Amino acid sequence: MANDTEILHYLWNGKLAVCFQLDEQEIHGIQNPEPFYLMVPRMSYFPLVCDKVKKHFLKHVDPEKQELEMWLEYKDIPLKWNYPIGVIYDLFTIDNKQVDLPWKITIHFDNFPEDKLIRCSCRDAVESNFMSSMKEADMLKHRSQVFATMQRHQHSQLWTGLLNDKFDQFWSENKKLMEPTEGNYFKHIPIHFYQSGSTSMTQTLVKPISDDGNQITLGELIKLHYPSMDNPKVFTHGICIPKETPVQWMSEHMSYLDNFLHIIVV
Amino acid sequence: MEEDTVESSALKVNAAENKEKIEILLKATGNAPILKTKKWMVEKEKTVAAIIEFLRKLLKLDSSDALFLYINQAFAPSPDQTMKNLYDCYSTEGRLILHYCKTQAWG
Repeated sequence: MANDTEILHYLWNGKLAVCFQLDEQEIHGIQNPEPFYLMVPRMSYFPLVCDKVKKHFLKHVDPEKQELEMWLEYKDIPLKWNYPIGVIYDLFTIDNKQVDLPWKITIHFDNFPEDKLIRCSCRDAVESNFMSSMKEADMLKHRSQVFATMQRHQHSQLWTGLLNDKFDQFWSENKKLMEPTEGNYFKHIPIHFYQSGSTSMTQTLVKPISDDGNQITLGELIKLHYPSMDNPKVFTHGICIPKETPVQWMSEHMSYLDNFLHIIVV
Repeated sequence: MEEDTVESSALKVNAAENKEKIEILLKATGNAPILKTKKWMVEKEKTVAAIIEFLRKLLKLDSSDALFLYINQAFAPSPDQTMKNLYDCYSTEGRLILHYCKTQAWG
């Protein structure tokens, strides 16, 4: 696995400055709430970092609506809590231009967009969603042979490592999931594709090597999936990735914590 | 400008493709009631959440009853995952097998 551990640290420490504001229509009372600024890890998920944000705005919301589920929006697009924060941010990259920081996100309590977002009843929902992704990734990489043989306390190291922003705790277990079990390659590469400007995701089976035994590069993969696009740029973690990068290397070093690569095609 | 036309026609093809239907097989696990009809044709753009809702109606479950859906008896797909993605990755012999259960079966 991952010999280039420097990049793992680098990606783990990636943060975004966010400015949260309550939707003007939902301000209750005469006093306007101050915006709330926060540095959020790209690798994390909004429900895990927004407790303070909710607390800050709750007193400015109609008491009858305080029990409703808080949700986030940017430029009229509801933000999916089940995507990593960095992925959501990168989806708004257009023509090489990233969204200005701090990223201005609007907070809502009312009018939950049922047709666009899934509900996040509690932190357990984030945990089970995250663990399911890891299991799926392990099925793709190792035919489910690694995750299932890990003990419960090892699984919880992964989750608490993410929750408490503890790199060593997370990677002490995650390294087992990032080692190919047969030869030098995973069976398939867990990968989610997005096109900038859209929140829909596509997923297909991706192999790390071609039939003639050569490593498949990012450029070859993108050409296969987006044949009609003329020389698209590919981003992950806000970085434009060189086309000659092998997808196996990317999977080991540039996956999000759910063990999936999240690739944004611009 | 020419590129725009190519892309928008590609999008139209995608939209039409997503209306196409795929075959899914719904299999009961544990204490879940068995369906008379297991084989269903569903639109590719349908989400896991929509399938769960459909199943809840078929099985006449109470709103308090939980229902879980699994792929390959291994993991629970995210509610916003589409049938197309799951079919493209996990179908066997031209159909997608989904196991459903009233309690958590595979984590």
